[in-house]
Amino acid sequence: MEAKHFLSQLRILHLSDAPVLIYPRIPSAHSAIFDIDRHYIFGDFPVQPDLTTPPPAGQLQFRVSVDPYYLGAAWLLVRRPFDDTPLSALRRNISLFMIGGGVLFAILGYFLGRLFIAPMRESVEQMNRFIEDTTHELNTPISTILTNIEMIEALEKGNDVRDELDRIAIASRTLSRIYDDLSFLSLKHPYHREILEIDMGELVQERINYFRMMMEAKHLKVTQDITEKVILKMDMNDAMRLVDNLLSNAIKYNRTGGELHVILNREKLVVRDTGVGIPAEKIATIHERFRRANTSEGGFGIGLNIVHQVVQYYGFDFSVRSQVDVGTEVTIVWNTHARDRR
Amino acid sequence: MNTRQLRLIGSMIVLLMTVTVFADTVADPQLEEHCLACHREQKLPDNLIYRRYLLKYSSPQRIENALVKYLEHPLKERSIMPAEFFLRFPIKYANDLSPAQLRELVRRYIDYYDVRKRLRLEKPN
Repeated sequence: MEAKHFLSQLRILHLSDAPVLIYPRIPSAHSAIFDIDRHYIFGDFPVQPDLTTPPPAGQLQFRVSVDPYYLGAAWLLVRRPFDDTPLSALRRNISLFMIGGGVLFAILGYFLGRLFIAPMRESVEQMNRFIEDTTHELNTPISTILTNIEMIEALEKGNDVRDELDRIAIASRTLSRIYDDLSFLSLKHPYHREILEIDMGELVQERINYFRMMMEAKHLKVTQDITEKVILKMDMNDAMRLVDNLLSNAIKYNRTGGELHVILNREKLVVRDTGVGIPAEKIATIHERFRRANTSEGGFGIGLNIVHQVVQYYGFDFSVRSQVDVGTEVTIVWNTHARDRR
Repeated sequence: MNTRQLRLIGSMIVLLMTVTVFADTVADPQLEEHCLACHREQKLPDNLIYRRYLLKYSSPQRIENALVKYLEHPLKERSIMPAEFFLRFPIKYANDLSPAQLRELVRRYIDYYDVRKRLRLEKPN
């Protein structure tokens, strides 16, 4: 704006016939005009400036091209004092802000990265643990079967091989149960349920007999209080998985020579053992898949997850009471309303 | 010192100041002889012509080159002045000066009208 005013003043001077031309001043600045060959014409600088040299420190310089060449001026040079304190303060603030922002985003990125990677890492760890557990779980019954078959072959004909056959039967059933559990988990989504009226008394008794050999192998004292004709509308496989997993856990985590109580009535099913127990802080999450309260025994950590899924599907109530080194009691309460709805 | 002597000294001071002030505007004899005398007779607006050269060529060197080029072969088409100018002022004849002489006179002409000599800074209040 000031330069524009200055140039209009130059135009007036150019057209003037006055013998003396008063050079226009720009307020609080020094200016000079140069011809097209960059030679100095006139100006109000204390010392004649050079068009091409940079301004001294603390001076702000403008170099404006002029056309047409009033008074022969092709260039206008303007310099004014410049207080760069606010600019320095701004630079410092920007630098501080950038550094602060960088540190903040680095910290934020670190924690967000950890947050986002954590589920993946946990998933990978679960997979690794699952593979290790599967190998171990399958290895034990297969070894048992092979060893006992070798023994039967080694024994002379006529010897009693009932014990060896029993052990093979237990190992085979263990394998069968593992297969059932894994296929239930992997085929859960397209799983088709056939809802029937099931006599739970009959079923629980049958499953106790199924696990009888495993109980005897661990010298467990089994007590049962089973009410007859407890009828539930369920899929038979779901009912078997529910009972089998509860019994299997109660056997597996029981101590040798321990006790196993099974109570069934029209209200609930209770399976209580005298095993290793579950720490209080782990009870709330014990139904999560691959969650194992302790590693004293083998297992996938899928047993209670399967129980939980079945219980959720049928709307039953599920509770666990446990004390470390005393035992665990799992209670399934048949929710009549939920049961009849299905 | 009597009154007469004081008047004499005062007159000399005034004369000296007048000579100092107008020294720049007095043309040198050669320029006067070869250029300005005729310009004055024809009432050519020298200031106007110089301003047009200044406005177009800016620097003394470029003005000098342009003027020499024109004066060597003066044609309406080469003149910086508009065609209407020649309705009032006829085109001049080519001069018989040597190139060096012509260039020197052009230089003196530019110096005579040099705008730098007229520019002043306003006196501070």
